[in-house]
Amino acid sequence: MRKEAKMGIFGLCLVIPSFLLLSVIVITPIILSFFESLRNESGGYDLSRYVYLFTDEGMRANIVFTLQVTIVSCVIVLAVSYALAVYMRFSTGRLVDLIRKTYMIPIFIPGVIATYGLINLLGNHGWLSRWLLLFGGTLPRIIFDQKGIIIANLWFNIPFTTMLLSSALAGIPNAVIESAKDIGASRLRIFFRIIMPLSYKTFLVAVTFVFMGVIGSFTAPFLVGPNAPQMLGVSMEQVFSVFQEREQAAAISFFTFLLCSLLGYFYIRSMVKEETARP
Amino acid sequence: MFRMKKGFTVLSALALSFGILAGCGTANNNSADSAAAGGSESPAASNSASSSAPVEIQFYFTGSQNVKNLWDQLTPMFEEKNPDVKVKLVYIPSGTGAQPTYDRILAAKQAGKGSGGIDLYEDGLPVVTQGQKDDLWDTLSTSSVPNLAKVDAKTMQDVANLAVPYRSSAVVLAYNSEKVTQPPRTLDEVFDWIKKHPERFAYNDPSTGGSGSSFVTTTLYKDLPEEAIHSDDPAIMKDWDKGFATLKELGPYLYGKGIYPKKNQGTLDLLTSGEVDMIPAWSDMVLEQLDKGQLPATTKMQQITPGFNGGPTYLMVPKLSEKKEAVYKFLDFVLSPEAQAVMVKTMHGFPGIQLTNMPQDIQDSFKGVSEGFRNFNVGELSKEINKRWQSDVAAQ
Repeated sequence: MRKEAKMGIFGLCLVIPSFLLLSVIVITPIILSFFESLRNESGGYDLSRYVYLFTDEGMRANIVFTLQVTIVSCVIVLAVSYALAVYMRFSTGRLVDLIRKTYMIPIFIPGVIATYGLINLLGNHGWLSRWLLLFGGTLPRIIFDQKGIIIANLWFNIPFTTMLLSSALAGIPNAVIESAKDIGASRLRIFFRIIMPLSYKTFLVAVTFVFMGVIGSFTAPFLVGPNAPQMLGVSMEQVFSVFQEREQAAAISFFTFLLCSLLGYFYIRSMVKEETARP
Repeated sequence: MFRMKKGFTVLSALALSFGILAGCGTANNNSADSAAAGGSESPAASNSASSSAPVEIQFYFTGSQNVKNLWDQLTPMFEEKNPDVKVKLVYIPSGTGAQPTYDRILAAKQAGKGSGGIDLYEDGLPVVTQGQKDDLWDTLSTSSVPNLAKVDAKTMQDVANLAVPYRSSAVVLAYNSEKVTQPPRTLDEVFDWIKKHPERFAYNDPSTGGSGSSFVTTTLYKDLPEEAIHSDDPAIMKDWDKGFATLKELGPYLYGKGIYPKKNQGTLDLLTSGEVDMIPAWSDMVLEQLDKGQLPATTKMQQITPGFNGGPTYLMVPKLSEKKEAVYKFLDFVLSPEAQAVMVKTMHGFPGIQLTNMPQDIQDSFKGVSEGFRNFNVGELSKEINKRWQSDVAAQ
């Protein structure tokens, strides 16, 4: 008992620093910006800033645009990453080795530089359009468009997501798969009955990461996005530092936080379910 | 346990460094205070003392690297001629701390601590007018700074003699002279040109850079009375409708049928790559990039009448500075043709003094661009312009 109490205190000591840090840099700002966002123009408190978010045409377009970009990016990133991870886990050969060695490179390239690279590659007079011109084709508009943001998001998110999923797949013992094969399970069956369930949890983690990363992104949408509609991050920056409406910016940021916490809720719920399912 | 120990080490290291920093702070204050005390006792005494020990003035300035290069070059020239004055340069990289410097001057005044150790400060027009309201700046005259006589009297009037406009730049049309032989001379001709040459003109998102902002503002105020550009009266906002309608109408004729690149550099990049033939741009950026070969040599500039926005960068002397005599000497030097020539060469800005005071070759290089620009000063209204542009023009 005494030992347990000691361990408990030790555990608390370990948690307290990170909790304090969290409360100073995350929880307090959220509460403060929530109160800030409730202040209306005449100084009183009401929900007018949020009403504006959903009634102003430009703002509504921004929200829809952000959700579109986020969902499309999430779907493509996860599909590509999962395919890559499965491929790297179960195949051998030179190509796999090459992919394994190089797929992390984008992580080490600073965001602004990568974005300018994309502009040079995909822009109106970029390399790609010049090559296409040789064959008589023309490039649809990618830069200064939604497509540009999505492509940039793929570049930023695929490596890390692949890394996460690879580590989950690496944790699946070969013995399980081999024994399934022995009793005659087809490849598809192995995938859906063994690989999917065993990597499902990491998959959820990856969804959360990609979703939050994309919805709050700024650099790429600012540099390659259209003037309107904007991603919420870009709009927030504009409202905050150009229009200097702190309360409105706080309302946008709190709304973004709500969107993220919705996903966080599902994530935590599934984690808790798993934990309690265990004996 | 090990972790905690490490934590303590880190903490104590932090505490120590803060202690040292705090010590530095007080030491600085002390020296500033004592200097201030010396000054207030008898200015004459401090002047005579200066022959033995030079007076050190603290000059705070902000901006891009080119501004720092300019002062690094000018200060030794000044100190060589005036051994009794030393200029301590305090460079604040742009975006990191211009506002705190202003706040510091204001806070020092409110706390009754003189000028907070800042003897000279550089910034744009908004800060000059802000300081005018807070009564922070010293009124300058030709008796203290003789070279002020060389500055355009109207520019000095605009700032009530509270600041020295030591360099300026303006927004001009930059164009590819291979494609455009007869550049437009008025705003109406510009609109005409844009419509006749679809997708060959671009201006940047006005909230991200002054050149696009100037194009928008100039359009809005095209048919409004001339005084309106110096007024921040919100009553004028309803008169913007026509201008915004024009901008909206231009949208489909612009680059990418209505794409407005970000930042001043965004449109310059388009001009470089040949995607457009004409843009509004800052003259100093065009000149500098021509000089470095980043822009094609065929790029030329043209100011329209009435002109785009342009304006000076100002030097202000905090009213409560105790070393004004030394600062005046420095200001007088900055406005001398010799120092102004250095500024023109390194920064490609227009001289702060009237062009007739400059060598002939410099006068020639600014032909057609250094005149005719107007100094828009619409204050808080520019925020409203950006807001309305975003909802009316960008999101059309």
